[in-house]
Amino acid sequence: MAVQVEHLWKTFQIPHERRTTLFENLVGLMKPKQYETFTVLNDVSFEVEKGECVGIIGDNGSGKSTLLKIVANILRPSRGTVKVKGKMTPFLELGVGFQPELTVRENIGVYGTVMGLSRKEIKRGIDEVIEFAGLEKFEDTKLKNLSSGMQVRLAFSTAIQTDPDVLLVDEVLAVGDMDFQQKCFEVFNRYRKEGVTILFVSHDLNSVRRFCDKTLMLESGQRTDFGDTNEVIDRYIYKIEKNKPNDKDISENEPAQEKKSRWGNNKIEITGVKFIDKNGNENSNFAFGDPITIRIFYESHEEVSHPVFGIVFYNQDTYCYGTTTEFKGYDTRAVCGRGYVDFKAKRLQLIGGKFDVTVAIASSDYSTTYDWHDRLYSFNIHNPTRDLGLFSLDCSWSGSKDA
Amino acid sequence: MLLVLYFVFSNLMRVQVEHYQLFLLIGIILWNFLSRGTSMGISSIMGKPSLVQKVYFPRDILVISTCITALMMTMLEFVVFIIFMMIFRVLPGWTIAYFPIIFMFEFAMILGISLSLSALNVYFRDVQFIWAVVLQAGFFATPILYPITIFPENVRWIVMLNPMARVIAILRDCTLYRIAPEPMSVVYLAMSSLVVLLIGYFIFDRLEPRFAEAI
Repeated sequence: MAVQVEHLWKTFQIPHERRTTLFENLVGLMKPKQYETFTVLNDVSFEVEKGECVGIIGDNGSGKSTLLKIVANILRPSRGTVKVKGKMTPFLELGVGFQPELTVRENIGVYGTVMGLSRKEIKRGIDEVIEFAGLEKFEDTKLKNLSSGMQVRLAFSTAIQTDPDVLLVDEVLAVGDMDFQQKCFEVFNRYRKEGVTILFVSHDLNSVRRFCDKTLMLESGQRTDFGDTNEVIDRYIYKIEKNKPNDKDISENEPAQEKKSRWGNNKIEITGVKFIDKNGNENSNFAFGDPITIRIFYESHEEVSHPVFGIVFYNQDTYCYGTTTEFKGYDTRAVCGRGYVDFKAKRLQLIGGKFDVTVAIASSDYSTTYDWHDRLYSFNIHNPTRDLGLFSLDCSWSGSKDA
Repeated sequence: MLLVLYFVFSNLMRVQVEHYQLFLLIGIILWNFLSRGTSMGISSIMGKPSLVQKVYFPRDILVISTCITALMMTMLEFVVFIIFMMIFRVLPGWTIAYFPIIFMFEFAMILGISLSLSALNVYFRDVQFIWAVVLQAGFFATPILYPITIFPENVRWIVMLNPMARVIAILRDCTLYRIAPEPMSVVYLAMSSLVVLLIGYFIFDRLEPRFAEAI
């Protein structure tokens, strides 16, 4: 067991009036102190085995960073215990203690000391640090003259000189360019191979997926899930909807907005649109590559023969894809009363982001619009791959030496 | 500073003390050690919010290191003092052996005060201003500019309750006048500096856990 957290509680007191001086405190003795308590961590327990890499995910303000700070011993728990075995290195923020007036070399010394390196280790590692950071030309430049990217590289290169048993990482990878991020990943992979236990806080679900064996999910201070990374992240993505039942109501009846973004002669009305995920539940968050079903409910006031249902996907203002029942050869026959049609995609090939959806019903020759809902609906896609762009092609790479 | 005080006190107030220049100088150096050490120490935690909030290490290191900085600055001042002693041809006797011991007591006291005040200063930001006033008052309440003999015999013991008064009196006696301190005096100093240090550590230890939140 490398890290053991048991029934951890953390509450902050938020006083209504802040008393920071002795004088204010003396005057304040007359009045009772008023404050609200704010529970950040609510009975969190988990265990991390040696050599495991555990991701911690959750929305903003769910207590991820507080948890890490408590494990790092910077904040103390209100109740509960934290046990860490072995030497711990927190990467909570890079570049703590950097002095802008000192040179790069001197700062490596300063920062190395802050990170808990001995003088000998710093002396031994200093050239390696400079080389890794790519700052050979600047080793005697004052730190203030370096670009912020260089400073981050320098901090990271110094920090990885430590030889920890437990590593705490908080969003460090968010800074820096692609190249640098790649370097970070390589280093963390090396650490993993060496059997270092890693706690990794991130909003970037993809890097958590790539790295972590297990994932802890926090929601307003409570542990809602802990287990295999892929399962937890899947549940996280597909669960967001459940906690916000109001979203769906809004998107189904938005009378105020519908006036402008909705038109047609209402011969057939679209009464609702549902996005259905692979588990058959209604949802607005999907993972790339998963199947999606879009169900369009309608109500027809009189019999209409062969109406055409259409659907268009937008990403911001980019028109991504559009099709209709007629294009796909589906015959709607005669329509009367209530019913629905399903748009099914086996693999969602759109890549990460928010997609707006237009649905419409028109007459068979497209001359009359019965009902047009212009971008009234939307869903989100989470992309676990590293592909870029709007959509992906079903593709692979191969090569040959003789040309 | 020294010159002004020297002229004012030796001419106007007619203080009759042998080697008054050195008497004054050693008193001021020792008092400066206290005031510099504690006023630097008091803001040692508040002055480094990033270190306290971002990495963990035993926080008393911050206080101890600033106190040691003050110690080294005072050492340099003593180099100047030795030069003055040579100029005025004052040679210390064997009693100088007491010097390091008493000096360490003063350092322990400074450390104790700094620890407790720096911790309190995190929660009550005006502690440092209050302490500045206390120091100012202490400067005149302690026999630095004047000898203890200006007080009537029966109130001297009250003045000597102040450990700093004792530190300065003993160190003057043993460096300038070759007088060994009374054992009771040394014991009193040892006890009081130990108590100050322990109370300081106790307060610091109690307040330390919430530093990162309150800073």
